[in-house]
Amino acid sequence: MCWHCWGVTSVTLSKLSLRNAQRQAKDYLVYFVTIVLAAALLYAFNGLAVSQELRALSRAMTQLPTAIVFTSIVVVCIFGWLVAYATRFMLTRRSRELGTYLLIGLEHKQVARLFFLENLAVGGCALVLGILLGSLLYQGLRAIVLALFGLPYQLSLSLAPKALGLTVLYFACIYLYALGRSRRRIRKMKIHDLIYFDRQNEGVVVQTKGKRRGLFAFSIVLGIVGTCLIMAGSLPLGILGAGCIIVFLFGFFLSFTSGVPAFFDKRPERKYRGQTLLIFRTLTAKLATMGVIMAILALIFTGTLISEGTGMVFRGLFEGRAAENACFDLYIGTTDDVPLSQNYLDYIQENIPVEQDLLYSIYQGENDQLMDYVEDGGEDYYRYFDQDPVMRFRDYAALRAIAGYPPVELKPGEYLIHCRAYLGKHLSSYTQPITLGDTTLSPGGVYTEHFLQNYDTGNGQRYVLVVPDEAVVGRPVFHNAYAAKTVQPVTEPQFSGLYQIYETLEEQIKDPRYYDEIHTKAQEAADAAALTAMTVFPFYFLALALSMTAATILTIQQLSESEHYRRQFDLLRKLGMDRGEMSKALGTQLGIYYALPAVPPLFIGIPFILNLANATEPGVMVGLSSPPAIVAIALVLFFLIYSIYILLAYTSLKRNVLPD
Amino acid sequence: MLQVKNIEKYYGSKNNVTKALDGVSFQVERGEFIAIMGASGSGKTTLLNCISTIDTVSAGQIFLDGVDISELPAKALARFRRERLGFVFQDFNLLDTLTIEENIGLALSLNHTDPAKVGVQVRGVAKKLDILDILPKFPYQVSGGQKQRAACARAMVAGQSLLLADEPTGALDSKASKNLLEIMTKLNRDLGATILMVTHDAYSASYAKRVLFLKDGRLFNELLRGERGRPVFYHEILDVLALLGGDVSDVI
Repeated sequence: MCWHCWGVTSVTLSKLSLRNAQRQAKDYLVYFVTIVLAAALLYAFNGLAVSQELRALSRAMTQLPTAIVFTSIVVVCIFGWLVAYATRFMLTRRSRELGTYLLIGLEHKQVARLFFLENLAVGGCALVLGILLGSLLYQGLRAIVLALFGLPYQLSLSLAPKALGLTVLYFACIYLYALGRSRRRIRKMKIHDLIYFDRQNEGVVVQTKGKRRGLFAFSIVLGIVGTCLIMAGSLPLGILGAGCIIVFLFGFFLSFTSGVPAFFDKRPERKYRGQTLLIFRTLTAKLATMGVIMAILALIFTGTLISEGTGMVFRGLFEGRAAENACFDLYIGTTDDVPLSQNYLDYIQENIPVEQDLLYSIYQGENDQLMDYVEDGGEDYYRYFDQDPVMRFRDYAALRAIAGYPPVELKPGEYLIHCRAYLGKHLSSYTQPITLGDTTLSPGGVYTEHFLQNYDTGNGQRYVLVVPDEAVVGRPVFHNAYAAKTVQPVTEPQFSGLYQIYETLEEQIKDPRYYDEIHTKAQEAADAAALTAMTVFPFYFLALALSMTAATILTIQQLSESEHYRRQFDLLRKLGMDRGEMSKALGTQLGIYYALPAVPPLFIGIPFILNLANATEPGVMVGLSSPPAIVAIALVLFFLIYSIYILLAYTSLKRNVLPD
Repeated sequence: MLQVKNIEKYYGSKNNVTKALDGVSFQVERGEFIAIMGASGSGKTTLLNCISTIDTVSAGQIFLDGVDISELPAKALARFRRERLGFVFQDFNLLDTLTIEENIGLALSLNHTDPAKVGVQVRGVAKKLDILDILPKFPYQVSGGQKQRAACARAMVAGQSLLLADEPTGALDSKASKNLLEIMTKLNRDLGATILMVTHDAYSASYAKRVLFLKDGRLFNELLRGERGRPVFYHEILDVLALLGGDVSDVI
């Protein structure tokens, strides 16, 4: 009897595909959930990219679609790899079943079609569910963007056709690539190959035991050297260190199964202590065939940590800069002692209603004694000036009023310091008098509110000395500035008007090169919001895709061993291991399995994030954006997502392996 | 040493009850080698599972060295199994991921034996069972007979007082079976191991000193080898098996 005679029509095949798809979704629930989330992420982020509403929020937001689409392409490649890996994995696990179809008379192309259809059914379901979930997720992201711009959020659920189209296109690319490969593989396979395909593992890259041990020892040394080089802090050494760590990862995971047993063989008293024997043997047996994939997963986790950290560094940087630069409603500063152009003042008078304003100068001090003190204290500082910057108390008091800060007092014969918050503690302990001409002044206090002190066009770079008005008479001017408190926030067109004046001046004056800085509170906030959205979202999008992919692969690998573990623990139960001990052994085994690819990335990721955060200008990364806080938050986010998968694997394994 | 008192075991639900064991009682003295025989479904493996505490009895009691094992809580049962019982299964049940040495050492490790002494004890028992040379190998690298000897070693390495064997020769060829049975006899004779072996093979049973026959969950007959030679005992077993095929009333 042949299948054709029996009437194996496409209807029968479809039914079988559908039934298998249901079973697949159940057996590989974690994978299915990840694919649903992948679709949701793709839809939600592409929803952001195509949203006219969000693009209209700021001029800077026009770059958001480019950033999202570019990231989406990277994410599609990552999910494509995941689906291809999982499909091949399922093919391996089910090859005997597919071989049996061939054995009973189904043709290769029919089996390939069967496998194709059932995977397509799973992918299709995931896509539909993902888009529904994604539309909710999109609302969450939209709410975040609106909150960044300080705008109210209103729920408006609807499907964006462009985002829908993009998501379907991305998904089609992911699935057609993975399924095309499987289809070709099935079509070429012989019945024997299919029936015995599940016995194939990842090839052993390093064949002999001696070489594996050598590689293990070498990789451990490289790992230590790499970590030290990254910790050293300089870029060339860091790159070299990262290279060492990558080689270490591959070397370590390819030789792990040789090195660890060798370690225990030399120390039998450790091997037979507690549950060590069981745990290390189960792990090495599993990892023996997962060397390359474990190294790749470790690299993916490194990418996750770096993406999360980088996103947060950018967020901190933009927020920190904006907080400092947005202390006045409007500020214009020149670089040199050239007077502020009258064109600005005319424009402001005509277009921007002002409540209070001030045209003032920053003067050169007698020497650089405070600068020396800042540098000697080991504080991060870059010299823009040769003398300490000085300003009149009268200007300082007016600026405080414009910025909305409480008034302060300057006693006769004293000077004040206004500095960035990070220098506050150090400068508070400065007790030396300063001299300006014939006047000698003693310290009268330190203030650390935001005061636009990031650049050489601001109120001193990082700090300024505030002295009695008469002390600056006759002193040379560093640069001039204008600050104002406006009736209404300066709008984007008004800012553009001022910026056009600057561009015209820059065009006209070539020698010396003309340069002004213009800051408005509203523009700083909008720029920070737009830049945050444009950098943080893509980095987090990437981080989520990476961590979900790696955790899913680890979990489906682990859950596929359920039957093996069940038999093992059944035997151990018969041999007298009690349930508590078995549960502990399973937990430890799972803990080490999940920790192995996650720990090495910490040695690359943490120094990378710290170095990146420290590379920004000093004083910007403070509070929740301080480098240690960023590392801590990145780690919490990373392990939060990871622990969901670990918990899923543990509960599922415990239910299957150690039934009550 | 072991006293089985009127045990019963039922499977299934209220409307569909299967009686696997029906009032089975017998005693095992220290140093005995007993075979339990019966056709498939006669209840011999169920009996072994109840004695080994893997399964629970529906009624009756099992005493080992005076302790009623049917009353012990789960944790105490686990301890009881690892300290007092040794298992040899038909399909060896060695862990593929462990070497032969580690498979044997596992029993000691579970018993919290001093890790420094595990190696010495494993090698000691391996020498007696002639498997010293295969200790560093994995189960897939050795023959079925060697695997079963390794399983025997695991069953006795921790000084377990009762060795329970479930069809130990079931997956072995005749040469390996003979070898294993001779080793079990040696363990029983020279080391005083108490062995309870379930088998449906008359040849295997003929190595025992006493054979219990089960039919439909009930103890049907008992044969003592006494001073007779093994071939004679073998034929006697075959005779009883022939009767087992008929009605129970034919032999009582």
